[in-house]
Amino acid sequence: MEAITKTESSYKVAIAVDGVSFSYRKGGTPVIDIPHWQLNKGEHVFLSGPSGSGKSTFLNLLSGTLTPDSGSISLLEKPFSSLSNKQRDRFRANHIGVVFQQFNLIPYLSVKQNIEAAMYFAGNPIKSKKVDERIVMLIEQLALSPQVLHVKADALSVGQQQRIAIARALINSPDVLIVDEPTSALDAKARDSFMAILKSVAKDSALVFVSHDPYMMKYFSNHLKMRNFTPPNNAASETESLKMLEGGL
Amino acid sequence: MLTTIAIESLKRRKSTALLTLVSIVISVSLLLSVDIIRTQVKSSFTRTVSGVDVIVGAPNGQLNLLLSSVFNLSAPTKGISKKSVLSLQEDPRVSWLIPISLGDTHKGFRVIGTTNAYFQHFKYGDKQPLSFASGGLFSDAGSTVIGADIAESLGYSVADNIVISHGLGNVSFRQHDAYPFTVVGVLNKTGTPVDKAVYITLSGLEQAHSHSASSSITKPLTIKKPPVIKKSSALAKPHSSGQHGAEVHEAEHSEEHASGRDEKDHKEHHEEHYENYDIDSIRTSSVSAVMLGLENRVTALQLQYQINQRSDEPLLAILPGMALAELWQIMGNVEALLLLLSTLIVVSSLFGLATMLLATMRERYREIAVLRTIGASPATLLILVQIEALLIALAGCCISILLVLGLLHGIKPWLSSEYGVFLGNVLLTKSSAIIVLLVVVSTYLVSFFPAHAAYRRGLHRDLNDS
Repeated sequence: MEAITKTESSYKVAIAVDGVSFSYRKGGTPVIDIPHWQLNKGEHVFLSGPSGSGKSTFLNLLSGTLTPDSGSISLLEKPFSSLSNKQRDRFRANHIGVVFQQFNLIPYLSVKQNIEAAMYFAGNPIKSKKVDERIVMLIEQLALSPQVLHVKADALSVGQQQRIAIARALINSPDVLIVDEPTSALDAKARDSFMAILKSVAKDSALVFVSHDPYMMKYFSNHLKMRNFTPPNNAASETESLKMLEGGL
Repeated sequence: MLTTIAIESLKRRKSTALLTLVSIVISVSLLLSVDIIRTQVKSSFTRTVSGVDVIVGAPNGQLNLLLSSVFNLSAPTKGISKKSVLSLQEDPRVSWLIPISLGDTHKGFRVIGTTNAYFQHFKYGDKQPLSFASGGLFSDAGSTVIGADIAESLGYSVADNIVISHGLGNVSFRQHDAYPFTVVGVLNKTGTPVDKAVYITLSGLEQAHSHSASSSITKPLTIKKPPVIKKSSALAKPHSSGQHGAEVHEAEHSEEHASGRDEKDHKEHHEEHYENYDIDSIRTSSVSAVMLGLENRVTALQLQYQINQRSDEPLLAILPGMALAELWQIMGNVEALLLLLSTLIVVSSLFGLATMLLATMRERYREIAVLRTIGASPATLLILVQIEALLIALAGCCISILLVLGLLHGIKPWLSSEYGVFLGNVLLTKSSAIIVLLVVVSTYLVSFFPAHAAYRRGLHRDLNDS
């Protein structure tokens, strides 16, 4: 297996999903079953669907924290899902940025340490003036004061945590950015502000934005909807029910 | 970075981490203390006496005799009559003899009545002889030689006067203040009970007691010339024949007076009798014990048997080496038991550490999931948890070492004065280092359980749950 390093920008397809099926129990009902789907470099897509439709499972498959039972997922035209765990971890750290619904910062680390942790696990140096400057620049880009860098994550407001989560996701210049319902705790004004920043800083990345809030669709030209999976009762209905992703790019 | 995360994580859980740390500090301190004291006791035990082949005392048990004569502990035995001492002295197998008479103290320190033979023949450690830091041997009946610790703690030096007290308690109401002794020598430090003893002449001891008992006080004789110690005999045999007893001495005095010798000659003659302060010349009725050096050590068992079989005066002869070994065997069992208990306590506290980490694992599942998402491998998570455990264990070991060293340094004087345990300057030994190493290795092994739990923790569920 070739070593996974920072990919050159020669790829066209950022994410490619082919015949992917996944269930939480072996032999159980598939939670995800997607014949084919792809997202190109620099494209942004809005993914919606009701609770339990498998959005988060799909994101976990994309980020490599789950592996499909069958089929393949390629990221940056690399066979991501067939990498070893170690290689997948490193690949994820280098190429994928994830912003969670609850932001999931490590509460006992400072803002700077949270961001540095992401760099450290990606194998990037963290102790240099250049790195410090990059962190400060990113923080300022997210409309935060550099003074916030030394504040513990759990001492930040929700809005600040959200931005730090984005900063952490972007610090390694990811090719793919996965954002999972980041605006659910925000009011309309804060949502608009957040989306403006996100679209600005992630303009070069492939962005998968997940939300069940239809209001957010207006920020995206590409929409994708996941629907509840109904287990097949007979062979005639199987093809139809396994097709979980609706819409197109 | 991992260490930073581990430290911050522990700071986050400071209450549980602190309690675990305290538990480890207590258990490791206990283990280190037991080990250090065991090592020091053994060292001070084995270096206490060497070169003495036989110790003879009243038949009150060999442990009691050993403790009172060598370690300056325990109450002195009943005593040996002068007659028996002289008969031992006459034994051709005996090369030298050190009489010791116990029962008095000076400010809580044991006072030992003896002769200059003590300083000449008593050896400690690896057959090291006693040596003087200042001054020298007994020069008259009223002279005293003191151990290094006494000189240091009481600030005594040569030419100071001291008064001994009757009895062994720290506080005595009966002072022999009518008969003060003058410090003539300060011994170099030995790290043995010698450092804690005040040595006076047998004649001085006798006179101090007679001064207390009677008001007719006569000052002890003083002499100006340095004493002459006979090479092969601590108990001097005045006038060479060895048969010269008190009666002969008195007869000579009569002759001197009858022949009209002047007072100066008389004094010189008297000094010869006293110069080694032996039992014969000063009419000491008994001593507490005698230490014997033999011409040939092979005869030790035979002599011991014969002394133990004596019918005229029941005596007990012990071989210090064997008695020390026997005593150490008793103590060694206790020591092994203490070591085992301490080890078990350390093991239990390490399991406590693992339990603490396991218990906190549930609240850390999200952190673990986040770390995995930002690129931490399962192996990294395993290492992270182990770093936390090792940080606590290392901190515990460091605090324990400082605590134990501070504590033992603080109770050093008390240990030596109360229990005769002399702690050296270097307390941490190879075995202390091994203990710390074993604690760290055990921590690494024990922490594998919570670390593995972190390793195996599924990522997806935690993030979805959030």
